[in-house]
Amino acid sequence: MDPMILLSMVVAAITAVAIYTFIGFIPGTDETSVLLPISMAVVLMGVDPIIVLTFFIASIVTLNITNTMPTALVGLPGGVMSSAMIEHAIYIKGEGRSAKIIKKMVAASALGVVISVPVALLLANLIAPFAANIRPYAPYLFVFGAIFLSLISRHKVLSLFSILPLAMLFQGLRHLYWGTGVVPPDVTITISFFLGITIGPLLVSLFALLNRENFEKMRVKQHKAISVPKDDHETSLNPFRILDKEERRNLSFGALIVNFLFVLSPVGLTILIGESIGRRFKTGMKKATLSITSMSAVVQATYLSGIIIPLLALGIPLSPVSLGPGAALYNAPPVLSLDNNLHHLLTGSQFAFAVITGAIIALSLSYILISRYAGAITNFIMVKIPHEAVLGLFIGFIVLLAFIDGGTINIFGVLLVGLVAGSLNKMGVNYGVQFMSLYAAPFLVDFLAGLI
Amino acid sequence: MKKPLVEIWGDVVDAKELTLSIVITTTLALGLHLLAPADNPTAGLFFGLAGAVTGFLISCVLFRPKRTVTKEGEE
Repeated sequence: MDPMILLSMVVAAITAVAIYTFIGFIPGTDETSVLLPISMAVVLMGVDPIIVLTFFIASIVTLNITNTMPTALVGLPGGVMSSAMIEHAIYIKGEGRSAKIIKKMVAASALGVVISVPVALLLANLIAPFAANIRPYAPYLFVFGAIFLSLISRHKVLSLFSILPLAMLFQGLRHLYWGTGVVPPDVTITISFFLGITIGPLLVSLFALLNRENFEKMRVKQHKAISVPKDDHETSLNPFRILDKEERRNLSFGALIVNFLFVLSPVGLTILIGESIGRRFKTGMKKATLSITSMSAVVQATYLSGIIIPLLALGIPLSPVSLGPGAALYNAPPVLSLDNNLHHLLTGSQFAFAVITGAIIALSLSYILISRYAGAITNFIMVKIPHEAVLGLFIGFIVLLAFIDGGTINIFGVLLVGLVAGSLNKMGVNYGVQFMSLYAAPFLVDFLAGLI
Repeated sequence: MKKPLVEIWGDVVDAKELTLSIVITTTLALGLHLLAPADNPTAGLFFGLAGAVTGFLISCVLFRPKRTVTKEGEE
């Protein structure tokens, strides 16, 4: 291998660790909104595909570890995934043990990566021979996926009923843009609609503030009270010492099993596995510790398998992780498209090499950094980074990407997508169903139009 | 007058400052994007992202977090 490429991979991984350590510690930074624009920028820079993949893997591994830190230390979820852990985190914090638990969580996270990377690579290689048979059915698979994710969600009928209206919304906007000539007929707007879905719940909350009566209801008198635990410098960093045998066994099982369920929603899986492992204990520290360590491992495994398996085996985004945060690796015009993306540009061994390099660098750096300085970093973020700036940054990102995708008109198109998707989300239609509907939309609308 | 504090997404913000932060960040993101050479989509994205991050940093300097932070002496 070219030593320049290898060096660039290492630099890319370290850069990813630096960026996402900072972002991860900021509470409320939604994974898709922070992973997609930056990975998109890296793809569009035209860097070697192997460097793109290294960067992305290092990004998700780091973000999934650092997001759990504000969750455990101050009780504010770092991102969507760690919102699943919040209840246990608050219990543990109440018991005054959060400085100890973060070491367990980081160790669990590390084991999750170590287990899921080889398993996901293996599964991808097992599925790959059937790729040519599967690929022509991709449009059907997206429809099937939307229906399937609806059926396993908590609000089945509601989710099923929202698939077609969502498809109408997306295709309606696309045809409007083609009709008015703002977008050429061979361009399909997708990326900014993704982000519209992701940021939807925030947009709905912000719109609610514009109603005087709602505003008075959401009003509070005091600042948020936050207490930051001190760093614990004494415990060893050896994951086998930090985690007891029962914790290791449970989280290993969780991290293994989710690889086979890579088409399911990561948040859903994390809650499902974490809660069912903790359920054997009614209350107390044992329940909270087992649940939260298993969740830390499962979060890593869902993200890694959700990107590695579809990307390596098929090259079409057939999992919520690939549809959302990893979308830029599949489709980033003009550099990548569904017929020419990382799946087509990398050989199997290059792919595995990039994944392993990214994962190892991200794990070792963030493991050491966080085990020693988690409290100090959290304190810095809490004192220096206002929530206003974070929300402003999200809105800035979304307006920018909407404008780049389809001009001024698309800023309002994405606003419309956000308001509809966000309202549905608040009613109980999860992101997975909405992302699948976006991918299934052209097929569904052609089908409906053909019915007359 | 009382400050318009509201709780949104798990944390407390001042509605006026939030509005300002959104205006600053969006203006800088779009503004810098439009300054980039029009024939280079990559530069366009980079200028825009840089604008958004600059807006974020300006908001961090202008506004204080609405949090009362205390340090614990755990165990």
